[in-house]
Amino acid sequence: MAKSDDGLRILQGLLVFGNVVIGMCGIALTAECIFFVSDPHGFYPLLEATENDDIYAAAWIGIFVGFALLALSILGIVGVIKSNRTLLLVYIILMLITYAFEMASCITAAAQRDFLTPNLFLKQMLEMYEKSDPDNSNDKGMTEGVTKTWNKLMLQNHCCGVEGPSDWQKYTSAFRITHSDADFPWPCNCCVMDAQGSPVNLDGCKLGVPGYYNSNGCYDAISGPMNTHAWGVAWFGFAILCWTFCVLLGTMFYWTRVEY
Amino acid sequence: HPHSRPRHPRARTMVPLLLLLLATAHGLVQLSDKPKLAGSNLGGLKTTSTFVLEQPRCVFKDYPITTEIWLVVAIPEAVPDFNNSVEPGTPERAFQEFPTRAHAYMTLNTTLLNYPCPKSPGEITVLRVGSETNCTKDMSRPTCNGPLPGPGPYQVKFLALNDSEPVAETSWSDPITLRTAQQYSSIPTTGNGHSASMIALTSILSILFAILLAGLVAMLVFWGSDACGSSGTFTKTEAVSVRRYNTHHVYEQTAARL
Repeated sequence: MAKSDDGLRILQGLLVFGNVVIGMCGIALTAECIFFVSDPHGFYPLLEATENDDIYAAAWIGIFVGFALLALSILGIVGVIKSNRTLLLVYIILMLITYAFEMASCITAAAQRDFLTPNLFLKQMLEMYEKSDPDNSNDKGMTEGVTKTWNKLMLQNHCCGVEGPSDWQKYTSAFRITHSDADFPWPCNCCVMDAQGSPVNLDGCKLGVPGYYNSNGCYDAISGPMNTHAWGVAWFGFAILCWTFCVLLGTMFYWTRVEY
Repeated sequence: HPHSRPRHPRARTMVPLLLLLLATAHGLVQLSDKPKLAGSNLGGLKTTSTFVLEQPRCVFKDYPITTEIWLVVAIPEAVPDFNNSVEPGTPERAFQEFPTRAHAYMTLNTTLLNYPCPKSPGEITVLRVGSETNCTKDMSRPTCNGPLPGPGPYQVKFLALNDSEPVAETSWSDPITLRTAQQYSSIPTTGNGHSASMIALTSILSILFAILLAGLVAMLVFWGSDACGSSGTFTKTEAVSVRRYNTHHVYEQTAARL
């Protein structure tokens, strides 16, 4: 009897430790998801225009799951120390619900990341950048968002187009309708700018002289932060869930051993 | 006999002079140089309506500096029977009528002063054909260097005029075909399926969740079947029901006896 007493005391200790870790991970998850939702790189208009911003929904779910994990871990610690079957049962059921939500968030983040291919951004850029005749006010909002985001992106990252300035030559675009090919082989923001925000050498930029225009594409600048966002939500969530799985199994076993 | 061979010594130098006079009388020296596109590291070498040529530096050597060099742009059909004597600026050579009523146009005229030879090293010496957009419909500017109306192909050559008389020309260039733009709606955006990591993540999480649900069910079944007795060995410090106390009392007594 003493031996199994010791065994259960160890289990109790482990469960308390497990719940402490869950609580801390919950705080970390909330913080991480708040960071992603705040959109520090300004890519949200691009995702909004794809009409599929599930990657942001996953981050929002992550915020609430983080809080829930923190609260439930405290409940779990109290339940384990008091060895109260009711508390532990409530804990287990609520944890399973939180588990399901977090699972949804991880899977959504991972699936949406696969959806955001270079071609998707290319088509969206060609369709919406500098579009002059939007269909309705919703379309207008999206095209303005896309145009502003691309302008900022091309200026800050010294890049042009998704794969390069040749995107504007290979395909027709809304930009091409209002800007003639001879005057603007590619948008003005693809030119190397001086401190005042005007091109260093406009003719050099139009000719495509290396050094006067941005010859590399912006896809790396977009995919880097987006990958961090998606994998941060998906894989950190996965790690938390694996740990939670062990703690929950331990709690269930502990529950069967507790005197009612 | 007097017409067969010139015997006079001065007559020997007369023959080449006569030939040169004949050539200039016909008005045209055919140079073997061909206009070519500029160096290929230019991003805008060929767009959908413009292209970039190398300047004809050191091509028209030995011609007076006031000679006017014109660029002739033509569709390949007009190349075999091209008439050099048609003056630039006439409707037959007007940019605005190209390519329907005029099969060629002449533009980018400048004197040899602007093509000094040899060229300074590191200098980019190019001509952008198609850069003037403000005179594409202006009939008063037939020598407009306007954007080309289609992807081509086109052939170009340089023509040197002295007082509106053609004196030299380069060979015709190889046919130049411009880029054609595809419709953006043809870009395929359907995904390439799901990545391996996403499938692994989904499957592992689903399995773990299933195990947890099974555990919960087992736990509740265990609770249901074991509602009355307790096989738990972990005792709480507070006192419980009287019956249990009696059972422990019996155990303690047995232990004390041993």
